[in-house]
Amino acid sequence: MSHDVSKLRHVPVREEKKGIKVAKLVKLKPSGYPLRALGDEKEQILETDNPELFQAYAREQWGGLALKEGDFVFDSFLYPDYAFQVVRVAPGGEGRISPITKIQLDLSSVRKSEITKRYKRNISLLDVIGQEQAKKKSKIILHYLKDSDHFGEWAPRNVLFYGPPGTGKTMLSMALAAEARVPIYLNKATDLLGHCVGDGARRIHKLYDDARRNAPCIVFIDEFDAIGLDRQYQNIRGDVTEIVNALLSELDGIEENLGVVTICVTNAPALLDEALKSRFEEEVRFTLPTEKERLEILNHYVQKLPLKVKADLEKLATLTEGSSGRDLKERILKNALYEAILDGKKIIREEMLLKHLDVINIQKREQDKKASRIFS
Amino acid sequence: MFSPQGLGYDRAVSVFSPDGRLFQVEYAIEAVRRGTTACGIKCNEGCVLAVEKRLHSKLMEPETVRKIFMIDSHIGAAISGLTADARVLINYARIQAQIYRLTYDEAMQVETLTRKLGDLLQLYTQHGGVRPFGVSLLIAGVDMTGSQLFASEPSGSYWGYRAVSIGGGSQVATEILEGNHKNEMALDDATVMALRSIKTAIEGPLDPEKVEIAVIPADVMVFKKLSFGEVSEYIGRLGGEEEEKEEE
Repeated sequence: MSHDVSKLRHVPVREEKKGIKVAKLVKLKPSGYPLRALGDEKEQILETDNPELFQAYAREQWGGLALKEGDFVFDSFLYPDYAFQVVRVAPGGEGRISPITKIQLDLSSVRKSEITKRYKRNISLLDVIGQEQAKKKSKIILHYLKDSDHFGEWAPRNVLFYGPPGTGKTMLSMALAAEARVPIYLNKATDLLGHCVGDGARRIHKLYDDARRNAPCIVFIDEFDAIGLDRQYQNIRGDVTEIVNALLSELDGIEENLGVVTICVTNAPALLDEALKSRFEEEVRFTLPTEKERLEILNHYVQKLPLKVKADLEKLATLTEGSSGRDLKERILKNALYEAILDGKKIIREEMLLKHLDVINIQKREQDKKASRIFS
Repeated sequence: MFSPQGLGYDRAVSVFSPDGRLFQVEYAIEAVRRGTTACGIKCNEGCVLAVEKRLHSKLMEPETVRKIFMIDSHIGAAISGLTADARVLINYARIQAQIYRLTYDEAMQVETLTRKLGDLLQLYTQHGGVRPFGVSLLIAGVDMTGSQLFASEPSGSYWGYRAVSIGGGSQVATEILEGNHKNEMALDDATVMALRSIKTAIEGPLDPEKVEIAVIPADVMVFKKLSFGEVSEYIGRLGGEEEEKEEE
């Protein structure tokens, strides 16, 4: 079966038609593969080591093709079926590739979209309640990022956020990301693990290569205890030493990471490798909220609830000793909200909130009871 | 999940880890932290032991929950950690004190008793098939050398102290003791101080049913547990002193 290729709009036709003039300049943007299986790794953005070399390569394989802006051309050799979109043909918006056509790879728009990821949520530093030490550190980082030359070797480099779950570590990091106007690399630690030996180290080096090229910038690693483990766990998980060594060299090793601020977040600082911990200039502890802070948190979220709340929040703050910010929002307010919705109520009353508080307390007490009976 | 230490070297007590630690013993010391706070002070006038009791049910009889025991007429001990392990150790200590009396016809020195207990604790860290005792003991008494206070731990090590605290709230309690202890203080004041450190560790109001206090005054050399009334009185004094401070 043969298809009439000329009828396809986006596939350029290889013709030596005298009618189509030679293009002086063609700009190509790497566009990815036409198909990818669901769940496969994310698209690759290609780049070139040597623009002249790319030009020669492009001329050789696409020479003779008549292009217009918007067409796609496909690579046949190195990355078969990888598509490039023609973003510009000068002059005139269409032309034919010849041995004298300048062919350039346009990476400007691609780079930006890769970096400024879609995680920027609507959070500011003001949304984070309490945690003054952490906020101070964040302010220094923001200060530095606005004026990195001034700091020189005294720049903030590596910071560790640790503390119980639900105390705002990741939230503060997101707020920092939202307020800083620099590229932010948001990494879940498991993104940096690899399938094969050496994969993890490669990903870490690649991350920091990218970061260095786009300095000043921030690198976040959430759930850091997934990768920064003490090397005694090497027996349990075979890639611990490899990954930790990669991190050690990036955080303060041969590479001079001027302009890259690394923030690592973890619930379990005790599991981390000692040498890694020493690379952090500050280990910022996040604490469970005090009664005053709990009241602030409750007030903050009650304003945002879709239903009105009629309750004595001060009393609730007193009764919730030991709860984290997340506990208050998700376990008490959210569940009370759902109950009100199901019951068709328009107002969340104090009894509903107290009821859900009771549920948590009973659960906690059950746990404590089992543990502590044999001790006195 | 992962244990913070270990990796195969923490299963048996009779095995050292590559970096020279005995993990089971260290874990036993952790177990002591699950017990409630106990506090001991010695001064020239005698010794005092004070403990916080944990009642896990409203129906419990508080008098049957004992954390302070008489070992001999001149020695008392307070425990923190696994209750059953502690009971065994107290029984052992009592028998040892009597054996000594029968053998030498005199009261056992507090350090000698502590050493005997330490030897037993150590034995259980060097045997196969047994585990260490998950108990720390405060041994306080008055003997021919004067007031003595020792604290032993699951490893079998023991140290003499002027004031010490063990159990869950021990760090907080120790801060109070460090700041305020004096050898010349009166036994009465020492009792109040011990109670205050317990109170700070509890972080709440003191309930006479949840506190046990015992003293061994140097002049009579006899162990005595304070009655409910006496404990309430001391608690009242503590409350009074705090109010005075606030007014200042």
